[in-house]
Amino acid sequence: MAQPAVRPHGVSEADFKAALKAFADVVGPDWVLVSQEDRNTYLDAFAPGDADAHAPSAAVAPHSAQEVQAVVKIANEYRIPLWPVSTGRNLAYGGSAPVLRGSVVLDLKRMNRVLEINAELGYALVEPGVSFFDLFDALQSAGGKLWISTPAPGWGSVIGNALEHGLGYTPYGVHADTICGMEVVLPNGDLVRTGMGAVEGSKEWQIFKYGYGPVWDGLFTQSNFGVVTKMGVWLMPQPEAVAYVGVSLPGADDLPLMVDTLRPLRLNDTINATYTIVNPFRSIIDGYSMQGKSRQDIYQGKGSIPLDLVLKELAAQGKAPWNATFNLFDRDKGLDLRLAAIHEAFDRIPGAKVQTRRWHRGEPIEQWMRVQPGLFALGIVDWYGGPGGHMNYAPVVTPIGKRVGDYYESIYKRFVEYGVDYYCGLLNVGPRALLINAVMFFNRNDEDLMRRGRELYDVLAKEGSAAGFGDYRAHISFMDAAADMYTFNGHALRKLNERVKDTLDPQGILAPGKQGIWPRALREKKGRAS
Amino acid sequence: MKALSSLLVLAFALATGVASADDEALSPQQQQGKRAYNHICVYCHSPGVWGTNRLSKRMDKEKAVLENRTDLSAALVQTVVRTGIGSMPPLRKSELSDADLAAVAAYLARSR
Repeated sequence: MAQPAVRPHGVSEADFKAALKAFADVVGPDWVLVSQEDRNTYLDAFAPGDADAHAPSAAVAPHSAQEVQAVVKIANEYRIPLWPVSTGRNLAYGGSAPVLRGSVVLDLKRMNRVLEINAELGYALVEPGVSFFDLFDALQSAGGKLWISTPAPGWGSVIGNALEHGLGYTPYGVHADTICGMEVVLPNGDLVRTGMGAVEGSKEWQIFKYGYGPVWDGLFTQSNFGVVTKMGVWLMPQPEAVAYVGVSLPGADDLPLMVDTLRPLRLNDTINATYTIVNPFRSIIDGYSMQGKSRQDIYQGKGSIPLDLVLKELAAQGKAPWNATFNLFDRDKGLDLRLAAIHEAFDRIPGAKVQTRRWHRGEPIEQWMRVQPGLFALGIVDWYGGPGGHMNYAPVVTPIGKRVGDYYESIYKRFVEYGVDYYCGLLNVGPRALLINAVMFFNRNDEDLMRRGRELYDVLAKEGSAAGFGDYRAHISFMDAAADMYTFNGHALRKLNERVKDTLDPQGILAPGKQGIWPRALREKKGRAS
Repeated sequence: MKALSSLLVLAFALATGVASADDEALSPQQQQGKRAYNHICVYCHSPGVWGTNRLSKRMDKEKAVLENRTDLSAALVQTVVRTGIGSMPPLRKSELSDADLAAVAAYLARSR
């Protein structure tokens, strides 16, 4: 075994070596990864700065829940911080890299079994290494009667994405809502099953979330309270038909009108899946990226692309400034009714356009349906030229036109001030919430652009917090900043999280700093001493 | 759209273990490599998608599809996969084992 170049904070070299040896006894020497080459594969591939700031000291890749239990117990013995990743593809949020430099990555990718597919009840039971690609293939092999909801990149983990509150574009698009039953290794190595899974021999684990007593599943999402080793996920039965809807509004200031027109349609379930409102910059960037073009093909200036240039280019392409897309899932007759209501709502707006297309059961799946995983969307990371990357600021906002429009403009002003192109999509999360997903692309060779992006995130988080907003998810570099936005009653929620953390994980070995939740020993300095 | 349809065909071919006449000309290791390529690499390196689009900026479009290249060495493929290149992140051993990587490299270097 090569000499590790990075050690976990506060762990002696002798203890670290002993821990690695003990890990190897559990998972086999091939799956304790300490060489420089191997450790580099765990760095954040889209790091908005120095990736070494979040460098792991090693990785250990177990193959079963029992091996996870054993690894966690060893970590407690030697006080080794573990950073669990599922497929390690949480790019833009840190990929497979830990918050705390020197943590050992607990790589769950080898646990990649689809344990059950139940077509009668519409669920699957999966392990964390199962990607959206894997589950899609398994469902197709099982007859294709169930469909997944997938985020834009398909290499992510079904479990990991749901735990991180990810989104897809079907009626099952709020992935955390589709969780039903977990198996979890607690920070002390104990194994528990939640909901009906707590009944020995239960056949109802994946059909009833609540079991008896408190519902724990939420506590294992966006947290560092346990390692989820199995999870039930509800899946949509293949519908009879799908309709694509693209709506556009002609005015550069039409975002509030778009929000107010879509809101009632989503609330009464006429629109029964996630919609995306695309801002003018994103329309341009998506279009260019799909053609393999990048920023220099439209603008060579240093600051952010001027809005008037973007609007002019959109007009030349025959596109409107504000666009929204979504799909509807129903029987054919149901789609007729839904589409009639959507036309009625938009046809009364001068200049509004509605475009539709349909798919019927038996036809080949097409890309616009967004029900087959892919990696098509990743081309946008090269917007500033490669090697690219991005980070996001995505506050939760009430879908009321004026509130959304005002905050959107406030964020826009900061993007212009920091000279970053304002790529923005606004996605609903269920019927009542909207995310303003403001994306900061960068070129990883452009230190100045990355610095401006980091500073932009900080100022947006501080101003957003002062205005009463909170980010829904954050890159490992910004987990404290995002947690700081949740201010009520002297950060009472953080204090509660810390009390739970200290109770479940007194040694503080599991994912220190995740979501801004630090173990007692590292709380004051937030790991900065390491 | 064509790319997506071909991905579906590939996925089914993979699941059902269908071998084409072309496969019979491949060594067992190259066949293993082709299977791994179609399971992992194809999502970025089939026609019309990200990796191919990037490569087509500096070579002709047909050669930008990795499977059509005749100049790739096994060593280059192995290095690029483990270190990443441009915006392509490295692949970890837990995603693509050393044996499967060696097979992918043998498959992509078969025409050299």
